[in-house]
Amino acid sequence: MASSEAVGAAAGVSPDRNKDTRRGFLGRLTAAVAAIGALIAGWPLFRSLVPNVLYEPPKRFRIGAPENYQEGVTFLEEHRIYLIRESSNFHAISGICTHLGCTVKFSPFPMPQEETVRQFTYRALGEFHCPCHGSRFRGEGTNYAGPAPRPLKCFHLEVSAATGELVVDVAAEVSRDVRLVV
Amino acid sequence: MSLFKKHDLWQKLVWPWRPESDREAGSGIVANFLLHWFPNRVSLRSLAFSASLYLGTITFVVFLVLTVTGVVLMFLYVPSVERAYWSIKDLDYAVSFGWLLRRLHRISAHLMVALVFLHMFRVFLTGSYKAGEVVRSARPFNWVLGVTLLVMTLLLSFTGYLLPWDQLAFWAITVGTNIAASVPAVGETIRQFLLGGTVIGQPTLIRFYVLHCALLPLALFAVAAWHMWRIRKDGGLAIVEQDRIHALTREPAAPKKSKTYSVLGIASGTTVQVNDPTTLNEENSVPSTPFLTVRILLVTLLTLAVSIGLALVVQAPLEAAANPEVTPNPAKAPWYFLGLQEMVGYSALMGGVIVPTIVILGLMLIPFLDREQKNIGFWFSDGSGKNWGIFGLVYGLATTCGCLAIALLLPMRSLFPTIESQFFFDLVNPATFLLLLFAAMYFVVLKKTKSTRYAAIATFCAFIIAFVILTYTGTALRGPNWDFYWPWQPWPDHPLAL
Repeated sequence: MASSEAVGAAAGVSPDRNKDTRRGFLGRLTAAVAAIGALIAGWPLFRSLVPNVLYEPPKRFRIGAPENYQEGVTFLEEHRIYLIRESSNFHAISGICTHLGCTVKFSPFPMPQEETVRQFTYRALGEFHCPCHGSRFRGEGTNYAGPAPRPLKCFHLEVSAATGELVVDVAAEVSRDVRLVV
Repeated sequence: MSLFKKHDLWQKLVWPWRPESDREAGSGIVANFLLHWFPNRVSLRSLAFSASLYLGTITFVVFLVLTVTGVVLMFLYVPSVERAYWSIKDLDYAVSFGWLLRRLHRISAHLMVALVFLHMFRVFLTGSYKAGEVVRSARPFNWVLGVTLLVMTLLLSFTGYLLPWDQLAFWAITVGTNIAASVPAVGETIRQFLLGGTVIGQPTLIRFYVLHCALLPLALFAVAAWHMWRIRKDGGLAIVEQDRIHALTREPAAPKKSKTYSVLGIASGTTVQVNDPTTLNEENSVPSTPFLTVRILLVTLLTLAVSIGLALVVQAPLEAAANPEVTPNPAKAPWYFLGLQEMVGYSALMGGVIVPTIVILGLMLIPFLDREQKNIGFWFSDGSGKNWGIFGLVYGLATTCGCLAIALLLPMRSLFPTIESQFFFDLVNPATFLLLLFAAMYFVVLKKTKSTRYAAIATFCAFIIAFVILTYTGTALRGPNWDFYWPWQPWPDHPLAL
């Protein structure tokens, strides 16, 4: 107990002793300069670890001619994208679960069935299931069970003027209702 | 001119000096670098096996095993996405004893995580985070250092998990870094900083490698050294408080004064030894050497024997090489994160960010919330403490099973099918219920007993059982698509695939 008093007394005394004296001022000035110096020295160390150039696969890429795709759902493994063709309508849904980034699997229905999602009724071929935490998505991407916080992303799709191939831009998100008509 | 004379060096190596008395032996020990790790004499109470179960010592020995095997593994492992997986394969099949090194490193890592938890349970249940009334020691601060060490241990284990670059590693890190991304506003920035890009690739591997092999071990070593030095500064294990109280009742005279040194004016105040009334004598203590050193040596040898024995028996798995295109089903994090993954299954924000933050902060705050100074060093403090501990276990068992049942039988999204707001489901889910139920119990027990210690014991025991149940559920009861399977239910042979 005596020691706690001693500590308290020491702590009580020190601010008074340091306040308003030249030594106290110089001490605080030194500490401030040292802190600013450490921040300035630390900034390059930190900033160098934020990459300026990413050597990653391109965000916009060609996926082949539209007529090569069958009616229904095709999974593009290397891009983790589901390409869906309904006669001349095309759209691309991301295969990355919006919860924690696992690849969702497409579970086809035995028969296509009518489904009503967001006031629209459409013909669903199946739905998406995530293996990691059990999230489920309707065939058009809306999350309806499990922890997934958002619908699956849909990506901008266009036909390359030069080659006539389909081009996906995973940096450009579009609404779930957009279809490319070829 | 040489620094040492040859004769001096020889003297240092063989140490031929023989003490003539215990006192001379004692000062000899204090003067020796290796032997002054321990005090001259050690109280019989703190020497007792039941006082500490030697869990901290065992943890440190396991950390040394990890350091030694880890340094050798660094010579054999190549941190590049093209070669990492194959250098692990080489360890298993081409390097002499490579399999042993890898298994020993892996089993020791798992042991270390388990041991830091057990060590924390022991320190909490014996009330060893308390300062004590005779001399106010800094044990509350040392508890905070301990929680920091727990977090560092988990980070070390997590960063090491990616290095084999197999499917297990790749997807565990995918899930783990996406949990960081669920922090509001800055989450995606944090994730990209961890990954060194937008996807897991070479920048991620090199980041985790450097963290795992250099930064985190050095930091952990520094904090661990501080942690152990503080035990010496506070006069030993918490059970010595009982020696101090005993000394006070026996000789209420003025406490013995002894010298104290404040290092170059940096350390303020006096050390606890100055006012410590305890006199360690023939009755209540023994010389540290040989009594403590031999026990530590024995514990060290046993720990080595057990971890090597386990390494001979338990295989280190290696799945297929990392493939971003195929998610294994189910994809699971390391076992100590599976309780977390179970809650992340309810809500990434609540289970992955808010609950762990509250748990870590809550753990750090324990010594400042519970300031009762009674019965320090005794398991559960006393009989009623034990009863409240049992109450906490039963309550934790019931509420955790209840919340699991809600998660399985009444998913929130089917209870409230019309609500689309994600914010609503982040707030209303079984993980939140569990958090609120535990907080409620803390305050009810506090109100009923007027004792922060009993309330803390009940809450801590509930936390232990919740951790165990959630971890067990995530490990054993979750199958493909994270569906629930009882242990006796077989998993489907061919999980639904494209």
